[in-house]
Order: sequence, then C-alpha cells, then structure tokens
Amino acid sequence: MKNTTNYLRFGLFHRFSHFLIIISFFGLVLTGMPLAFRSYGWARWLYEMFGGYPTAGYIHRICALITFFAAFLHFAFLFVCVSVKKQKGYFWGVDSLLIQPRDIFDIIADIKWFMGIGKRPNFDRWIYWEKFEYLSLMWGTLVMAVTGIILWFPAQITKIVPVAVASIIDVPSIALIVHRYEAILAAGFIFSIHFFHTHLLPEKMPVDEAIFTGKITEAEFKHERLIQFNRLEKQKDLESFRVAPSSLFVSFLTRLFAVPILITGLIMVGLMFSALLVWAI
Amino acid sequence: MDYKREGSLTMGRLSGPGKYRLIAVFVSAVMAALLPVALFAGDNGPCIDCHTKTDKLKVQEKAKIDPVTGEIRVVSMLVDEAIFKTTAHGGSDFFCTDCHQDLDGADLTEGHKPNLKPVDCITFCHDDPAEEYLQSSHVKLMKEKNKDVPTCKDCHAGLTYHYTYLGEKSPMDVPRGTDPLHRKITIDACGSCHTDYLNSYRDNAHGQVTALGHTTTDVPVCFDCHGKHTILNSSEAESKVGKERILETCGKCHANVGDSFVKHIEHPQIKNLNYYKTLLTALKKSGGDPEALKKILLNPQTILCIVFVMYVGILAFTFSAFGVHSLLGWFAIVRDERTRKGHADEEHH
Repeated sequence: MKNTTNYLRFGLFHRFSHFLIIISFFGLVLTGMPLAFRSYGWARWLYEMFGGYPTAGYIHRICALITFFAAFLHFAFLFVCVSVKKQKGYFWGVDSLLIQPRDIFDIIADIKWFMGIGKRPNFDRWIYWEKFEYLSLMWGTLVMAVTGIILWFPAQITKIVPVAVASIIDVPSIALIVHRYEAILAAGFIFSIHFFHTHLLPEKMPVDEAIFTGKITEAEFKHERLIQFNRLEKQKDLESFRVAPSSLFVSFLTRLFAVPILITGLIMVGLMFSALLVWAI
Repeated sequence: MDYKREGSLTMGRLSGPGKYRLIAVFVSAVMAALLPVALFAGDNGPCIDCHTKTDKLKVQEKAKIDPVTGEIRVVSMLVDEAIFKTTAHGGSDFFCTDCHQDLDGADLTEGHKPNLKPVDCITFCHDDPAEEYLQSSHVKLMKEKNKDVPTCKDCHAGLTYHYTYLGEKSPMDVPRGTDPLHRKITIDACGSCHTDYLNSYRDNAHGQVTALGHTTTDVPVCFDCHGKHTILNSSEAESKVGKERILETCGKCHANVGDSFVKHIEHPQIKNLNYYKTLLTALKKSGGDPEALKKILLNPQTILCIVFVMYVGILAFTFSAFGVHSLLGWFAIVRDERTRKGHADEEHH
C-alpha cells in the first residue's frame, strides 16, 4: 500500500495547527470537565490527577493561551493569504471552507445514499460536514474565549458593566453557564461526531493519517474527493501535489500519538454520556 | 473559641462561664466525697468502664430523632476513648458529668436511668456564641413562627463524639473555620435543611470546586458568606449578604470589586423545577400585559434559566442530528463494502 502514488492534502502549517489544537483541547477538557461533572467519582479522580484546585485551573488557563495562539496563527495565515498575497478562493468556490450552494445538493445526495436509494456521492476538496466542523470550531472557540476571559477576570469585567445592567444581566453567571454547556457541546462533538466522521470510519480505523502526515494515497483521494481529483487532473495541477509516501516509521509514530488520544477522548465521551444516563434514569 | 483552656488556665478571665463551671465542679466534688459508691465528678473511670465494653452495656444503641429534619439516627452508646480524648471535650480537666449533669451523683449499682436530659451547652459554658446565635434569623423564626431550627448540637454534632453528620467520629479538636474537614461538614450540615440552596451553590463557580473535595479557605463554603452564629436573612440590614455589607463580604476574597460585581447570582435556579413552575404561573397570571411580562423577563434568574434551556436545546439538537448522521454514514460505508465484496465473490466463482 505504501508503494502507491501519494498526494499532499494538508501542508505543514495546517498539520501544526491541528496538533496545537489537540494538545490544548485535551488539556482544557481534562481539567475543565471535572467541574461540569463534579458529582461523579471519576471527575474528582481526574481533577486530582491534574493537581486539583488551583493547579488544574492554571493548566486550564495555559491551554487556553495555546488555543488563543492557534486561533491567532489561523487568522494571521488567512490575513496573509487574502490581503498580502492576494490569493483568491478563500470565501467562495471549491477551495472555500464556507458553505456553498453545492453543499445543499451534497447533503441531499448523501441522505439518498444513507437510505440506499442513491450511490455514494462524489465530493470536492471539502465535504459539507467538514465545513460544519470547521465553522463550529471557529464559533466554539470564539464563545469559549469570550466567556473564559470573563470567568478569568470577573472583577475587572464587571467594572465596565453599569450597575443598572448588572442587576438584570449577570455577566459572570451567564458566562459560567455558556462556558460549561458550550464545553460539553464541543467536547461531546469532537469526541463522538468528529472522531466517527473522520478517524473511526470503517475504512479509516483507527486513525486518518492525512492530518498528521499530510499525505493521502491516490485510491483514498479518488474514493473520497473524486471531483477535486478530476479537476486537478484536468488542470494538470495534480503532479504538483504529488509526494513520496510516508515511511512505516512515520506511520507508526502517527498511530503511537493518535491512538491513545482517540481512546482518551472516547473514554471521556463515554463517561459524559453515562453521566447523562444516570441523570436521566 | 477555646473556652475550655480559657476557663482553666487564666484566672483573670474567670468572670463568665468559667466561674459557674468551677462552682459546679466544686459542688460535685463535695457531693462525691459524701457518696462514695455513687458516680462523682472528677473521674471518668466509672463511665468509661462500661461505655467502652459491649458486654457491660445494657443498651448498646439508641434511636435519636433529629428535631429539625425528623430523621431517625441510630447512636451508639459505646465511646471510643482514644477518639474522645482528641475531641474538644476530651481534655484531662473535663468530665462526662460536666455535660451529662443529671448523672452527677447517680447510683451505679443497678446502672443509671436510660434517658438523660438533653445536654445544655449554653448555661454554664458557651454563653458567648449562644448570645450571637440568639440574634440570628434561625432563632427569630423559632420565636415568631415556632419553627424547629438547628440548635448547637445540630451543627456541632462532631463535638459530641457520638456521631457526626458524616456518620464518622470527628478527629478534630475544636471546630475551626479554617479546617477543611469541618468546612466540608458544614456544607452538608446547612444543606441537609437548605437543599435548594445547596444544589444552586453546587451549580455556581464556588460550589463546583468544593464539590470536587477542595474545601480549604480559598474557596467559600456557606458560612464564609452567611456568617457562623449570627446568620441573618439577606433582608436584614446587619446581614453579611444584605445590601449594606455584601461588598465587604465579597471583598474578603475579591479585592477591589465594584457595585456591579456584587450583583452576581450566587444561587442560580437553572436546575430548580419549582422555579420554572413559578415562572410559568407568573406568565399565565400576567395575561400578556407588557409591563408584567417585562418585570418577569428582566430578572437575572429568569435570564439565566433562558440561557440554560437554550443550551439544553442546542445540545439535544446537535447530538441527535449529527449522531444520526454519523451512524447512517457508518452503516452506508459498511453496506457498500459488503456489496462490493459480494460482487467480487460472484466474479471469483
């Protein structure tokens, strides 16, 4: 399999960004989730493992800073590409991560495939659920950053809120509720939907190496993103994306890093879901 | 706080509680000299003799009914001498009959009577905290509405060395507001009556940290904000959580906070079903009157509830929609692989 033709799907910058997000996201979830699930034994165990109060809180804030850094890198990258290099296609077209009219047709085609009344649809560079994941990451990071900063500096933030407003809109309390449930939404989403949509697909199990090594085989490319493949072939751009296949060692390293992290995430979402069941029953 | 030592060590301070106790001890000693077979103050020996041995005790356990919650607790009549000695009343200058005064001079040849009078903490010893306590809203409720309210032993149960709220004997000497174990016990003690307030405290930033077992002084428990003996309703001017003093109370931990900061809702009602019920009734009553509606909706608690319900909706929608999508995608891939395999097998044959 390693002798097949390989293409570059993710450049070093995007792979590094994903790595930063993994590190900071896991740090944030593991030190933050115990507070949301405070009445369960595992939450107390996990919190103590990260040093309890206030150490776990410091780790949480350091990871938040890494997230801010990753977000800054992302928008700096976007700014350089759009405004400095004057590159096009970031906001409209096949390379854009924003929702396009053709995504609606893709969703309909996908539902038809799920029901067994259509063939598996062919996609371009970004599949519609990948766009949802990207956009929810952007929205989620914004919400978590704003509410997180309010909770980090409650005294300073309330200084700029007039008393008349504060007696109706309790900013820190709203921030706490939003921060807690947006966190459950984000962690639950990443550890179940994102994992099962990418890494844990029957054809990818246990990990989609593309985001770590950057490379996909020609067979994978054609299977997942045939429209992009055909387009690049037609434009005679395909060759410029061609790369040497990753070595067995790199592939092994990728799995060594990714599999424990995937398992940790699955355990977390399992515990969160079991807590929901306990509460519901 | 340390009345025991104050009373016994510094003669100059013997004007208050210590004086009565000295008289009591003296009178007991005289009585003890007159009745050699009887139990006398100044010696725990006869009590410990039986109350540490199961075979010597006629009654091993007694049911006690909590005056406030009505809960029935089984209290052991056995005393662990080692643990008793570590408690506030376990010093060498302190005796069983100091508290169980109706046993003073009791005839022990047939064993003493089974039901003792409740121990009076206030009259001879702890009159200072009692005076503070008598000014509290708890006592006001007792006087005005004849309600059962917590008295000394309901909160200081650990001190009586028979039982504590946690069902274990208290290893601490004196209940200090800085001791993490005592701080933890007080949350449960207050929460055993104020269930709604305990639940809402757990939903807030302070309570979620103490729920994880961290109860040192850097995170507030109930009494840090509401006071210890003089707990007053927030409507009272003197209350630590009332309008006048709230800034000072929050300021103990949060330096340089403004008037907006203290508008914070420390007890959010987001998970209190009764709050939603009252909200619905109020909405029904308003009958669409814009002024009344405005009053209901422009309440910080209501806004928190709306945000909470909104997020529950977002969570339910996202996970059901994307969960179904993931599962369907998964099955479709497996189905495709099977048919492809099926075709391959057919070709092979």
